[in-house]
Amino acid sequence: MQALLSFDQAPPFSAPFRFFLTAPLFALLAGMLLLWSGPDLFASRWTPATLALTHLISAGFMLQVMLGAMIQILPVVAGANIAQPLLLATLVHAAITPGALLLAAGFLTSEPLAFRLAALLLGSGVALFLGVTGHALYGVASSNPTIRGLKLALPGLGMTVGLGMLLAMTLAGSFEVSLLQLTSIHFAWGFVGWSILLLASIAFVVVPMFQITPPYPTWFANRFAGSLMALLCLWSIADGLGWAWLAALLADAVLLTVAALAVLTLQIQSRSKRARFDATQHYWRLAMLCTLASCVLSLAANHLPLLAEHQEWPLLCGVLVLFGGGLSVMIGMLYKIVPFLVWLHLQNLGGGRVLAPNMNKVIAMRQIDRQMYAHFLALALLLAAAFWPGWFTYPAGLMLLMANASLLRNLLSALACYRQHCLKIAAGMASKPAGQGS
Amino acid sequence: MTRVDADIVIDARGLEPPEPMVRSMEALGQLGSAQKLLVLLPREPYPLYRALEINGFSWQTAYRPDGTVEVLIQHKQ
Repeated sequence: MQALLSFDQAPPFSAPFRFFLTAPLFALLAGMLLLWSGPDLFASRWTPATLALTHLISAGFMLQVMLGAMIQILPVVAGANIAQPLLLATLVHAAITPGALLLAAGFLTSEPLAFRLAALLLGSGVALFLGVTGHALYGVASSNPTIRGLKLALPGLGMTVGLGMLLAMTLAGSFEVSLLQLTSIHFAWGFVGWSILLLASIAFVVVPMFQITPPYPTWFANRFAGSLMALLCLWSIADGLGWAWLAALLADAVLLTVAALAVLTLQIQSRSKRARFDATQHYWRLAMLCTLASCVLSLAANHLPLLAEHQEWPLLCGVLVLFGGGLSVMIGMLYKIVPFLVWLHLQNLGGGRVLAPNMNKVIAMRQIDRQMYAHFLALALLLAAAFWPGWFTYPAGLMLLMANASLLRNLLSALACYRQHCLKIAAGMASKPAGQGS
Repeated sequence: MTRVDADIVIDARGLEPPEPMVRSMEALGQLGSAQKLLVLLPREPYPLYRALEINGFSWQTAYRPDGTVEVLIQHKQ
C-alpha cells in the first residue's frame, strides 16, 4: 500500500489532550471538598461549599472537556479549521484552569480578590476561545443541524460566562444586582444555552456515528437548536421583567424541549445495531435518563408548591444535571475521542509504514468498565446524599475520588500508549528511511 | 453519478470510525490512474476531503434523498 497522508490539519495531540487530563483533577478536588465539608454541604444549594462544588464540576471539569473537544472536533464535524490550535489551547487552558480554581476558592473564602481574578481569567480565556473558534465556524456554511447548533451554542457560552462574571463581581462587592434572579438566568444559559445546545449538536453526529443507530429525525434536528434558543431568550426576558406567569410557561416549554431530546436519544439508542452496548453507550443512556429525570423533577416543582418547598429537590436536580448528565456524557465521549486521537496521530506519524494500534486497545476495556461502575456508584451515593447527607456524603466523596482517579489513570494509560508507539515509530523510521518505504 | 461509474465501491454506512477512513485510504492506495472509487457515507466526510486534496485526488460529492453522501474519487488528471 502506498503511504498516504491522511490529516495534515488535525490539531497537535497536546492541544485537546491537556484539557482532558485536567478535567478529572477538578472532579478529584470536588471529591475532596465533599469529604472536607461533610454533610453540611447538602444543607442547601446556596452554601459556599455547594457553590464551590458546582463550579468545580461545571467551570472546572465540564468546561475543560467541552473546550478541548471543540478544538478537536470543529475541523472534523464542521470543516472549520482553527488557526494555530496549539497556541489557542495553551492560552485558553492557562486562563480557565486557575480561573475555575479561584472561583471555587472565592466561594469558600468570600475573598473579593479571588472572585475578581476568577472573573478576569475565565472571562478572558473564554472570550479568546469564542473569538478564534467563532471566526473559524462562522466562515463555514450552515449546511447541517450540527453546524447551526454549534453557531448558537457559542453565544450561549458567552452569555453564561458574561452573567457569571457579573455575579462574581457582585459577590466581590463591585456591583449590586439581584443575585437570586441573575443566578437562575446564569444557570439556565449554562445548562440549556450552552451545554444542551452543544450536546445536541454533537449528538446529531456522534450518536449515529459511534453507536451505529439510525439518524435523528430531520424535522427534529433541523428545528431543535433554533427553537430552544428562541424559548430561552424569551424566558430570560420574561423572567428579567418579572412577568411570572409567562416566564413559568416558557420555562415549561424549555424543559419539555430538553426532555424531548433526551427521550428521542434514548429511543434512537434502543435501535442501535450493536449487539452489546459499550461504555460510551451506557454513559450516554445514563446521561439522557438523568437529564430527563431532572426535567421532570423541575416541571413537577414548577407546578407542585409542596414539592418546591422541600430543600432536597434543587440538590437532587443539581446532582442529576451535573454528575448524572454532564459528567456521564463527557466521560462517555472521552472514551471515544481519546482513543481516536491516539489512533489518528499515530496513523499520521507512522506514515503508512508503522501501523497505529487498534482503537479498542488504546485503553483496556476492563479498566474502562471498572471506571464506569465506580462512576455509577458515585452518582447513586450522591443522589442518596441529597436526601440523607449524614449517611451518604462521605461514601459519595470517597467514591467520586475513586471514579475520577480511575478516569485519570485511564487517560494516562492512553497517553502512555501514544508515547510508546511514538518511540516505536521513531525506531522504525531510523531503521527504514522514508525513501525506502513500500 | 451511479455505482456503475465506479471501479471500486466502499459502503461505509454503518461502520464505526475510523473504519470508513481506513478503508477509503487503503482503497486509494490501490486505485489505478484511470480508476474511480465510490465511497458511500452517512455524513459529509470533511477529513477525507482534506486527505484527497493533499494526496492529489479529485472528487465529486452527491447527496441521496435518504441522507447518504456519495463521494466519487479519481486521480487528478
